[in-house]
Amino acid sequence: MTATQIETAPIETIGDPDVAEVNLTDKPWLVIVWNDPVNLMSYVVYVLQKLFGYSREKATKLMLQVHHEGKAVVSDGNREKAEADVARLHAHGLWATMEHPA
Amino acid sequence: MSARFQRTRDGKVRVELAAEERALLRSLPDELRSLYESPPADDDPVRNRLFPRAYLDPTAEDAEREWRELVHPELLRERLGSLELVARTLDGGQERRGRVVVELDDEQVAAWPGVLNDARLALGTRLGVTEDLDYADVDPDDDRAPGLAAYGWLTYLEGELVETLLGGFPDDPE
Repeated sequence: MTATQIETAPIETIGDPDVAEVNLTDKPWLVIVWNDPVNLMSYVVYVLQKLFGYSREKATKLMLQVHHEGKAVVSDGNREKAEADVARLHAHGLWATMEHPA
Repeated sequence: MSARFQRTRDGKVRVELAAEERALLRSLPDELRSLYESPPADDDPVRNRLFPRAYLDPTAEDAEREWRELVHPELLRERLGSLELVARTLDGGQERRGRVVVELDDEQVAAWPGVLNDARLALGTRLGVTEDLDYADVDPDDDRAPGLAAYGWLTYLEGELVETLLGGFPDDPE
């Protein structure tokens, strides 16, 4: 089925060099939450569930990773999404940064 | 240290406070407002904790500045809005037998954890609290003792509130 779609797709879509380049090289930005001595473990779970809609299980796992390893990647995406996620985390008092893997 | 949060049947969150507890909480919005609105300073650890960098890479100054210009006004507006809600709900509390009872709807209660947390971030940063802080070890004559007592009470209160709010999520195990 995939092969048929490629064969029937318009030439200009397949041949667009910009689209091909974006898809191949754009690794997602990573949004990282760092451990700090003030934020409560339960509060971090609450914020991750509230902001990202994560399950209790997933939010708890990420919180424990922050607590034990000092940081965790809590979301990723293009630059605009990462910037918005960092801002939302800051609005809730979490210490978050973003970085682009080399 | 006896404030309590409770879900009411109509879905609100009811908080009971002693008069002095309300007074302490009521002082937070004004103090936080002056912190939020203080001019940015690189060497102010409290301000840097409340408004941290987004870009980990220290050479990404241009991206950091652009991001800050984009989001800071909204971050500030949201936080000032939360202060206003907390102040207004505290002022609207009913006194019953020496206790103050405040009932919070969804929008009002959503403002509370952030304000309590920002107060703890500011106080905790200023006092240099560490993860293994033990209140039993604090010397009552220590200059930091009153601040640490307030910090400890806010920690207790935020913990109680967050447990109540977590109980409202659909996948709460209890």
